[in-house]
Amino acid sequence: MSVMIGLEVHVQLNTESKLFCSDSVDTRNKAPNENTCPICLGFPGSKPKLNKKVIDYALMTGLALGCRIPEESFMSRKIYFYPDLAKNYQISQYESPLVGEGYMNLPDLKIRIRRIHIEEDPAKLVHVGGDITSAEYVLIDYNRSGIPLMEIVTEPDFTTPKQARQFLEKLSSILEHLNVYDASKEMSLRVDANVSINGGERIEVKNITGFENVEKALNFEIIRQSGMARMEVKIEREVRHFDAETGTTKGLRKKEYEEDYGYVFDPDLPIIKVDRAWVEKIKSSMPELPDQRVKRFTSQYKLNEYTASVLIYTDKHLADFYEECCKLYKDPIVVANWTTNELQKSLNWRSERINDSKVKPKTFVELLELIDSNVITERYAKELIKEYVDTGTSPKELAKKSIVKLSKKDIESAVKQALDKNKKAVEEIKSGKTESLQFLIGQVLTLTKKQADPKEIKALILEMLKKQ
Amino acid sequence: MRGAREGSISAADSIKEAVAKSKEIQKKYSPFITINEKAEASRTKGRLYGLAVSVKDNICTKGLQTTAGSKILEGYIPPFDATCIEKIKNEGATIIGKTAQDEFGFGTFSVNTQLSIPKNPSDAERTCGGSSGGAGCITAAADFPHVAIAESTGGSITAPAAFTGTIGLTPTYGRVSRYGLVDYSNSMDKIGVLGNRVHDCALMLSIIAGHDPLDSTSSELPTEDFTKYLNADLKGVKIGLPKEYFSEGVDKRISKNVRDKAALLESLGAKCEEMSLPSTPYAIPSYYLIAVSEASTNLAKYCGLRYGLQKDITGNFDEYFTKVRTEGFGEEAKRRIILGTFARMAGFRDKYYFKALRIRATIIKEFKQAFKKYDALITPSMPVVPPKFSDIKNLTPLQNYYMDILTTAPNMAGMPTISMPVEKVDGLPVGMQIIADQFKEGNLIKIAHKFEVSA
Ligand SMILES: [Zn+2]
Repeated sequence: MSVMIGLEVHVQLNTESKLFCSDSVDTRNKAPNENTCPICLGFPGSKPKLNKKVIDYALMTGLALGCRIPEESFMSRKIYFYPDLAKNYQISQYESPLVGEGYMNLPDLKIRIRRIHIEEDPAKLVHVGGDITSAEYVLIDYNRSGIPLMEIVTEPDFTTPKQARQFLEKLSSILEHLNVYDASKEMSLRVDANVSINGGERIEVKNITGFENVEKALNFEIIRQSGMARMEVKIEREVRHFDAETGTTKGLRKKEYEEDYGYVFDPDLPIIKVDRAWVEKIKSSMPELPDQRVKRFTSQYKLNEYTASVLIYTDKHLADFYEECCKLYKDPIVVANWTTNELQKSLNWRSERINDSKVKPKTFVELLELIDSNVITERYAKELIKEYVDTGTSPKELAKKSIVKLSKKDIESAVKQALDKNKKAVEEIKSGKTESLQFLIGQVLTLTKKQADPKEIKALILEMLKKQ
Repeated sequence: MRGAREGSISAADSIKEAVAKSKEIQKKYSPFITINEKAEASRTKGRLYGLAVSVKDNICTKGLQTTAGSKILEGYIPPFDATCIEKIKNEGATIIGKTAQDEFGFGTFSVNTQLSIPKNPSDAERTCGGSSGGAGCITAAADFPHVAIAESTGGSITAPAAFTGTIGLTPTYGRVSRYGLVDYSNSMDKIGVLGNRVHDCALMLSIIAGHDPLDSTSSELPTEDFTKYLNADLKGVKIGLPKEYFSEGVDKRISKNVRDKAALLESLGAKCEEMSLPSTPYAIPSYYLIAVSEASTNLAKYCGLRYGLQKDITGNFDEYFTKVRTEGFGEEAKRRIILGTFARMAGFRDKYYFKALRIRATIIKEFKQAFKKYDALITPSMPVVPPKFSDIKNLTPLQNYYMDILTTAPNMAGMPTISMPVEKVDGLPVGMQIIADQFKEGNLIKIAHKFEVSA
């Protein structure tokens, strides 16, 4: 079975103001429809005025993805009647996008970018009494109306859902490095995914948020479509909706073709001219990009490429955090291991991103220093980090509060206790059963609240057994 | 613009009188959709202090109903002033009312509306022209100092000026900000002026012109004091008479009256000669294609959801939108939405919409070429005298559209024009259209004023 996947990624750009008016793009803590004006409500007589910053951001993204930058482009009206559109048309780009063809390299795969264009975000619909297919009625919040969106369209070059996810993770990291979007904002990146199997009609799953969900939706679609193919049911061009709760997709409507929207040039907005000087200016102000940063990490911090990539592609701010820690702590490899493993695990557990968490470089390196100075064991540090991520309390304080590193005598008495309680295991060890040795080590660890070193425990057990 | 500004009466009294007289005129000729009952003299003693201004109803006026002649916008009170309204208020003008028009500007006789239909003060059984018919009507009927702000897409200032015997100035596209203008065809809509004296039009244009950051299509060229072109000399001015504008479709008596005026201008020092604009016949179809394509998208927003006409909410949104739009739009608006949607459709865009855009480019080139040689062109304004309402009813839509044969080309090319009254025919007003190159309104004022004082 051959699978073809293409993505359309809609990114809310974090400019200060909306695409065509001076309202803020930050709708958090705003009452519904508070963040609006006659322009983004499409009132009679109002006219759009293009926010130049949006062009800068799209050009930066285009350059980061090796895209062609046409000298001219223009805005068009895409006409369809839907209550989330203030004007019943969306100002978008059709014939002439701001940014042309480019590409992104993934491990073993090159994904072609078809185009990048800019458009306005529609209002938010709140479905009351059901979901999009079953709601009793709908409330409209135009706060979002007119927020600048950048749409990145790929060629159908993905053959697995996993690749699509990798692409999105890398794209998100690039956008964060460019500082053009805010990954922590809900709905700031939405994906329409096209899937077809065996060269058949393509199905579009619309408006998926979350990279994991994209992978899930695509997996579901491939299974669904291949099931249909096996049953010899014809697959028809269709738009589907992904339900994150059930991990399934539902049919919404027959897919219309792009040319059916009756596009016209938007006559309120002049042609956008991007001359060489503008492109050069943006090029010269481009920040370091993820791929360059991975290279730098391997040479500057002697990390392997895999660890560097994890740090940089998981979350740009995690890489920033890492670099801050390296300024405070001697061994970058130790910092990398702790950051990508234990710290990331604890953050994931709390569904937090480093920037929203209480973790700070200064306190984080304390933890590593406590291990170095033998105040706590590595194993205990792995316990302590959870409480640290939860509370943000300095590891030094946390270590002081709990029982710090046991004396050899304490461990010996724990071992003795364990041997006395588990006579059967002791016999088994003597008869050569190593699993029972592991069991006993576990028992001692429990008794010492995991503060003893397993190697030390093992040595002690064997020593005492010899004596018996 | 005498009266208050010259100190003979107080501004407060003159505005009160203008509103009272407007109400009388309304009873006879219905130029208004809304009369501003709360009209008050301004406290700003600017260049328009104490002047009564009427405003076409497709231009947004804060706190004053703005319908664009459409039932679908009945009751709509804009929360902001159009830029041109802000500018005239800052000069001390007072808005006395909103003038009648064809719905969204869709017409030549101001009859395509479910609201007010203005009657011609020369003969109440005849049209004032359109789509700015109310503006022409009140300008002709007002016996108090008054200037009208109006708008033209394909000839909507020239037509009423010609039919009511007033002066109509249509500026270059982009000269006056469109911010606050209810869109018909954004690439051709122009806010302009109707008045009874060239001076009034020149002064008003000087005030409303200029770049506006809120309208990206407004020109960044520095604005001018157009009154400086009054009382100029016509020596060395070259004027062309495009023969296509004096063709068979034009009433011969009108053509003759206009040619006579060309002779007058020659006697005043100008040099007139016949010339040709061969693309003229293509103007009407391409104008209508562009206009309806853009208009059909502009009208999409009217669906009874956010403002204007509202109905009981039943069914899904498609059903609701259909209900509101069926009732709110008149027949001509529906025709243009359907035509425009068709012209934009896949498979037809190339044949219609794009072709029309290419023809517009050709027409602009042809005008530009002509203006290398001529300072201005002179043509009749309208091919007929104002028709009777009873005759208009019998016109087919196509015959109707052909009434714009003399105005569409300069309008779609964005060239400024002025319509001046000339000798009447059958006792009915007739207009002469002067066309200049883009941003050369000065040439229009120069010629029109000399003509005004010599006629
Ligand atoms: Zn806004």
